[in-house]
Amino acid sequence: MSASSRPSLGRIALNGAAGIALVYILLPLIFVTWLAFFRQEIPSFPPEGYSVKWFAAAANNQPFINGFLLSLQVAVAATLIGLVIGVPASLALVRHRIVLGPMFNTLLLLPLVMPGIVLGTALYVFQIETEIATGLPVMGSLGGLIMAHALVVIPWVVRLVTASLVGFDRTIEEAAQNLGAGPFTTFRRVTLPSIRPGLVAAALFGFVTSFGNLEMSLFLVGPGRTTLPIAILQYLEWKIDPTVAAASLIQIVLIAVAMIVTDRYVKLSRVV
Amino acid sequence: MSTAPEPVAGARTGLAGLLVVPATLFVALGLLGPIAILFRYSLNQFIPGQFMVDGLTIENYVKFFTDAYYLNVLLRTVRVAVVCTIVCLIMGFPLAYVLARTQSRFKNLLIISVILPLFVGNAVRAAGWMTAFGSKGALNASLMGIGLIDQPLEIMFTETAVVIGIIAVNLPFMVLTLQSVIEGIPRNVEEAAFSLGAGPSAMFRRVLWPLALPGVLAGTILTFILAMNAYATPVLLGGPKFQTMGPLVYGQFAQQNNWPFGGAIAFILMTATILLTVAAHLIVQRRYR
Repeated sequence: MSASSRPSLGRIALNGAAGIALVYILLPLIFVTWLAFFRQEIPSFPPEGYSVKWFAAAANNQPFINGFLLSLQVAVAATLIGLVIGVPASLALVRHRIVLGPMFNTLLLLPLVMPGIVLGTALYVFQIETEIATGLPVMGSLGGLIMAHALVVIPWVVRLVTASLVGFDRTIEEAAQNLGAGPFTTFRRVTLPSIRPGLVAAALFGFVTSFGNLEMSLFLVGPGRTTLPIAILQYLEWKIDPTVAAASLIQIVLIAVAMIVTDRYVKLSRVV
Repeated sequence: MSTAPEPVAGARTGLAGLLVVPATLFVALGLLGPIAILFRYSLNQFIPGQFMVDGLTIENYVKFFTDAYYLNVLLRTVRVAVVCTIVCLIMGFPLAYVLARTQSRFKNLLIISVILPLFVGNAVRAAGWMTAFGSKGALNASLMGIGLIDQPLEIMFTETAVVIGIIAVNLPFMVLTLQSVIEGIPRNVEEAAFSLGAGPSAMFRRVLWPLALPGVLAGTILTFILAMNAYATPVLLGGPKFQTMGPLVYGQFAQQNNWPFGGAIAFILMTATILLTVAAHLIVQRRYR
């Protein structure tokens, strides 16, 4: 009896430790969710009552709406650019012996480990110099912001698409070509469908990375042009109340839905 | 046309290799170029009133390393990052292990709940802690409610608050990195250790830990880099008086307009991060090989 109960005790301790870590990770989101339904404006516990009026307040808050629309616009554009130039690069890196291939690979993954603050300052001075050199209004422009975000999307695309290409059986492509398919048809009808999980994951991660980017964007937004994370940060520097919690909760729910939908097509536990 | 695979394949190789060029150019231009310019800026002079003056001087770096205030900021940042990274490893390992080994049909849901906070952004998560830490926040209200304390704890705007916040931000990265590595370790090796008489702790020390070491290293490096460069968490939970390197860099650019000094601090931050990462890497390699 004691022999069989000892390992299960260890099991309980292990699961307990894991549970504590999971709760810890989720705790801030739980607090935000709770606050969003408070009746009173001041975040004092226990709440005097509950209300859903703050969701209307959040949906009517102009900085949040503008920030949301800008973040959406930037994230979609940056993800598309990242996919368009990242997928061919991944194909080339996995399929062909390129001189200095590993070096290219490292370079393409570099923006992922580059601290956002350093990247932001570097791109800021880069935009200053570009504006001086060309006379074009680059600083604080939408184009500049999108390009910067594409830079942090590319590593996700390269990482996830190369991972899904590595296990790919090339003889299937050869079979398609033997049956008369040209290179483009082969790519569209054979290669693309089989790397679809990697592409979906790359699009999701790229999009979310861009949408949530805060540190780098701080340096690159122009006057009157603020992304949602920055709008939330600026609001929080001023005060914390149920309005900002409601706006955050809307964002949490949207992202959770996107993840659960994606998970039906690609098991997220396999791609991260 | 394509019935002769050999030349077709050969022709494609030459051209297809070029597909890597646009992305590489984009990253090189968008990353290495700007960093070179930033470094050049950090060697310029800043004269108040005159803005930035072209020069070739290391005075910005000298200013940082001879001023106790800035050195303290660097030291504080390193201290916070080290504490957060160690706690992340200790807390993250059990969760990563359970996630990697679970047969539960809710596994995907569990993984999603680890990734979701990651996607939600740092400011939102800081908001959650702000709700908890205030003098009438959830933490103080419940501690006072059960009579453990009669005065509210001053957690908001302290180093403790920042550490708690950064750990929560970085823990998912650690868990996901460890989980993917542990999943690659065959279960058989654990069972082999057990059947040869090893207890759970001996199995962990002699089998699981050494095999998981690449993941431990990758996760530690990632969380350390993120902790060193945190911005939103120290700003919101530490307040204006609690300076770390990230907010310091931003302040030099956005408020002081001192680009050369801001550039120098950014470079010091980047170099310190890289050096400490490499040092940790070397120590771990020496101990375990």
